[in-house]
Amino acid sequence: MTTTLSILLIIAAMYMVLGNVFSILFLWKGLDKVDPGTKDSGIIFKLLLYPGMTIFWPFFLTKWKFDS
Amino acid sequence: MTREKRAQKVSFQYLDPSLPPNHPCHHYISVMSVDYKSVLWNKQKKYYDIILWGLIFLWFISVFIFQYVMHEDMTIETMIIRTTAVTAFFLLHLILMIGPLSRLNKHFMPLLYNRRHLGVSMFLIAAVHGIFSIIQFHTLGDTNALLSLFISNKNYLTISDFPFQTLGFFALIILFVMAATSHDFWLKNLTPEIWKALHMGVYVAYGLIVLHVLLGALQYESHPVYFVALVLGFVAIAGSHLWAGLLENRKLRNIESPSADGYYKVAEVKDLEESCGTSIFVNGENIAVFKNDGKVSAVSNICKHQMGPLGEGKVIDGCITCPWHGYQYIPENGQSPPPFQEKLATYDVKVIGEEIWVHPRPRPEGTFVEPAIISNGKE
Ligand code: HEM
Ligand code: FES
Repeated sequence: MTTTLSILLIIAAMYMVLGNVFSILFLWKGLDKVDPGTKDSGIIFKLLLYPGMTIFWPFFLTKWKFDS
Repeated sequence: MTREKRAQKVSFQYLDPSLPPNHPCHHYISVMSVDYKSVLWNKQKKYYDIILWGLIFLWFISVFIFQYVMHEDMTIETMIIRTTAVTAFFLLHLILMIGPLSRLNKHFMPLLYNRRHLGVSMFLIAAVHGIFSIIQFHTLGDTNALLSLFISNKNYLTISDFPFQTLGFFALIILFVMAATSHDFWLKNLTPEIWKALHMGVYVAYGLIVLHVLLGALQYESHPVYFVALVLGFVAIAGSHLWAGLLENRKLRNIESPSADGYYKVAEVKDLEESCGTSIFVNGENIAVFKNDGKVSAVSNICKHQMGPLGEGKVIDGCITCPWHGYQYIPENGQSPPPFQEKLATYDVKVIGEEIWVHPRPRPEGTFVEPAIISNGKE
């Protein structure tokens, strides 16, 4: 059980690390391409989206890829 | 958004060429917003937030003092863990009951507007509880704290010694996902269907937390008052949901059969207050009917923003205004005043004597439908 759990935790940690890296890049460069309604949005708005972006980042990764 | 920009947005006016020059909808655009921000942060909301946090603070302090008086030997960490737990759990009850309560009584409606902020506040407080618990119980050994949460107690097959903290952990993850996606951005980008499903998770979280408390604190807190409080909480939540559901069901059953031309009776003219609406569910159509200025119009009951119940809203300055976040629609054609582009389906209505009748066939969204004129009883 300990080994299985350790592996799961490591996978979760990797998902989170990638999510954080992606979120910084995406909120900085890609957000208004995927959702034009966010044009001219400020830093506070982006910070609000940050936590959610670290969960749902794969979804936005595909959107960003296909849009550009 | 900077203060200047926000000020600009609030005083923003737009003359809609398709409306007569003195139509009030011209001037009422400030409630809605083209982008994401203003709906969330209007003045009223700030006011609610201040009251909300003031009340939470008062409650927090009272529980804290109560604990101190009851157990003088308690460490400050334990007091924080318990106070945040009780506060968050209490707020969760409130959140779960706001929906049904505001369906039962309009006075609860203002709470509904602010439910999202309540939810995020609750998550933050629950997070303090979770994080403090993990620090207190799982950071002392060599094992990774999260691993320790799952394996320090392996009695998964018992009841009295079940590792109840894991249940709290999963509940906290659900609350995190919901708080993180509470912004309208997520509603739009994840699609309303997925968003709604995600936010039904609050019921799963509630179930997990009930078990977290039943298998945790209640296994060693033998005083019956804790158990009674837990049961009362459950009864209040389940009861208000059932009650609101039953009332709605009764309303459904009272619908009479249609007239020969397919119209259904909605209400008596006199039962509808001026500038107010009601709703009817027939043939799978959820329809809101409004009486305003001697005229009756019918549109879809489902707000384009977050499916708010438009029939429970009011006509403000000539526009149907959603009770949840204030999206607006012109009664006759279901369209939001420009520059907004939301459009509702409209329905044919007629007033026969003292009765309002509606046809449950939706017109394409945004179609103009001649409102029915109330004849003051003189047909
Ligand atoms: C990582 C997540 C969590 C952990 C590790 C955790 C841990 C604990 C622990 C150790 C206790 C017993 C405290 C004591 O009696 O001294 C407790 C009690 C409690 N927890 Fe959690 N919890 C978590 C998440 C949650 C969440 C999300 C809620 C939701 C509101 C919650 C609500 C409660 C309540 C109501 C109690 C009973 C309070 C009392 O003893 O007076 N917990 N939790
Ligand atoms: S304004 Fe948000 S649901 Fe209607």
